[in-house]
Amino acid sequence: MTENSDKWLDAYHDPVASLYTFTQCLTLSDIQADGDWKLIVADLGTGTYDMKLKVYKNTTLLSEHTIIDLPTGVVTFYMDTLTPRTPAIAVASGPYIYVYKNLRPYFKFTLPPLDIHPVEEDLWNQAKTDQVNILNMRDTLEAMRQEGASLTVRSIKLLQMETNNLQNFVNLHKNTPLKKQTVITCLSTMKKSVPDDDAISCLVLGTENKSIYILDPEAFTVLATVNLPNVPVFISVNGLFDVDYRIVVSCRNGCIYTLKRGSTDVTRNMIELNSQPVGMERVNKNIYVGCMDETLHCFTSKGKKLWTVRLPASITAMEAIDYKPKSFTAVIVALSNQEVHIYKEKYLVDVLKMDDVVTGMRFGRFGREDGTLVMSTKRGGLFVKILKRTAKFEEKDKLAGPPAAQNTKLNLPKKTKLFVDQTQREREQCVAMHRTFQRDLAQLRLKVLREYVKALDSSMNPISSDPMEPLKLSAHVQGIGPTFKFSVKLQNTSLTQSSSNLLITFDYDEHLYDFRKKLIQVPILVPGLTYSFDTFIDCKTDKGLSDNVKVYVLKPGKSIPLITGVVSMPVSESIVLV
Amino acid sequence: MPFFDALARWLGMKKKEVNVMVVGLDNSGKTTIINHFKSPETKNHDIVPTVGFNVEKFKSKSLAFTAFDMSGQGRYRNLWEQYYKECDGIIFVIDSSDKLRMVVAKEELNLLLENPELKNRSIPILFYANKMDARDAVSSVKCSHLLELQSLSNKPWFICASNALTGEGLHEGVDWLTDQLKIVLQKKKK
Repeated sequence: MTENSDKWLDAYHDPVASLYTFTQCLTLSDIQADGDWKLIVADLGTGTYDMKLKVYKNTTLLSEHTIIDLPTGVVTFYMDTLTPRTPAIAVASGPYIYVYKNLRPYFKFTLPPLDIHPVEEDLWNQAKTDQVNILNMRDTLEAMRQEGASLTVRSIKLLQMETNNLQNFVNLHKNTPLKKQTVITCLSTMKKSVPDDDAISCLVLGTENKSIYILDPEAFTVLATVNLPNVPVFISVNGLFDVDYRIVVSCRNGCIYTLKRGSTDVTRNMIELNSQPVGMERVNKNIYVGCMDETLHCFTSKGKKLWTVRLPASITAMEAIDYKPKSFTAVIVALSNQEVHIYKEKYLVDVLKMDDVVTGMRFGRFGREDGTLVMSTKRGGLFVKILKRTAKFEEKDKLAGPPAAQNTKLNLPKKTKLFVDQTQREREQCVAMHRTFQRDLAQLRLKVLREYVKALDSSMNPISSDPMEPLKLSAHVQGIGPTFKFSVKLQNTSLTQSSSNLLITFDYDEHLYDFRKKLIQVPILVPGLTYSFDTFIDCKTDKGLSDNVKVYVLKPGKSIPLITGVVSMPVSESIVLV
Repeated sequence: MPFFDALARWLGMKKKEVNVMVVGLDNSGKTTIINHFKSPETKNHDIVPTVGFNVEKFKSKSLAFTAFDMSGQGRYRNLWEQYYKECDGIIFVIDSSDKLRMVVAKEELNLLLENPELKNRSIPILFYANKMDARDAVSSVKCSHLLELQSLSNKPWFICASNALTGEGLHEGVDWLTDQLKIVLQKKKK
């Protein structure tokens, strides 16, 4: 099973619960007002069918409702003052909010339709009476789409169709009135006028047409609408609708906006992120944002960045912990490497290793236990972990930081008079010192270059500078003496030109060495290949002396060698007479 | 007057007194179980979540029990260990329908067993797998398996399924506990 940290109890695991969902579609609530909190899950199924609203009591499935479209969010909220205080479940799906009370469908709220582009409306009206050619209609719609006009779903579908299917499609749909609807992207709640736990709450929802709507819980009318510069994806609300509130919204363009009661200028309090947000949580006054570039940022509610943490893998889900019995607040981040990290402030305080990538998480009260973490995984598993009563989270980084030794003070000696004088001198005469250094450096370079030119002039280097005879030489000595093997390697470095009529000869101290071949005739050198020429040398002394040996490559008729190699001979071992 | 005490005890009028602790998670039925043993005139009709703890007295066949009915709520659980020293027996109540929190019960039991006051004492532990009437309740065997009671070897223990609302199974458990406590008392005398 999972390798567990010692702070969590593994209360329940079902790796094959076939529950495919995200954090937004998981919620914990006391929907029967019996003190036994239920887990409410909007199951995405396969994404096209089998979408269900599931309610778990303890570990058993209590009820199941089919959802028609893909759910995008689930919340519970109190919509009346009746006792027992049973909250309603709101499921956002497409342009609708389905409200369930006592586990029965209760109400369906539809978002107000949007204005249709007049040209588009006109086209469909003409189509109704067959006044327009369908191909012309398609071209006009296509032109509108390219200009950036937002079209209805029906028109977009028409543009995607094959030409031979168009007529049927138009005939099928032309008589139903054209409607333009948006899609809910995120859902949250906000208490209306009192901050009690079971106070009546408004629904707050973000939509694809870049708006935030606040709904009245009793009449289901739109209480307020705010337009945003981009599509909202994550929403976090606090405050009371009738008093004062803040809505923090992160959008698809990588910006976080803060909306206040009565203010319409949303760009005033804006946080720009480096990357797209993949999760946003708010704990107390701090906003924690996980981004696509594997970072976790923390901002104050004013938009000031407090810190950034780099994560080892990309984020798949985020959730806030606010565990009141121990006044422990933290942020849980699920990562694509199957780990779940818990950050208290910027410190990593715990790591949970899972068998699967966690895609949805909820921390809160489940059953009768306060500190419960419910997780759903990519392969459809459901995991429940309970925080131990004795668990303590040390506010210390688990990761390797700077070693402790770095903070200990070193026992530095006092500044001596010499040091002070030197510093003084350096400070006063910095210009002169710099100039001296530069002059010396220039002279050094000059000297190096001069020596180089000299070497070139006398062909003292092992690579030929003569363009007519491009050669490279390397020489090696092998053996320990008194007889050595001396090998010379010659390579013609030109691409096309071959070299011929060359000689190799050696310059050495005749008292010390005796070369068995004093002159080597070099055959024609084909470009690119390396030729090896060997000779034996006998060392004539046993006094432990050694000398340099020079190798020349000569061309008949030239007094200066083409190339020269210098080999320093090793000290020879003395002859052992047996 | 020790002579009269001995006489009364011999005549069966005065019973030996023992202290037992009743522990378990919140909402497992500890107070309801104790309530069942009380005499009809002292019975409570409304059971509310216990705050802190209650001390209740009741009698079995041959012993007079003083029960420390501890609160099972998370924030009061650290109170339990204060009373381990003076108790002669422990009644551990489990909500057998709460599968999710079985691990929490196990964790609390382990903490109890690891406590230095109890670790080396051979103190009898009676487990009630309570709420056996609930629809999704697990059997007492399964319960003991989930709590890994088989590994509990240095203390006498006994588990019985119970229903504190009707009293089913309660006396079976208390009879076992009485027998165990009598053995302990006899050993003490020697």
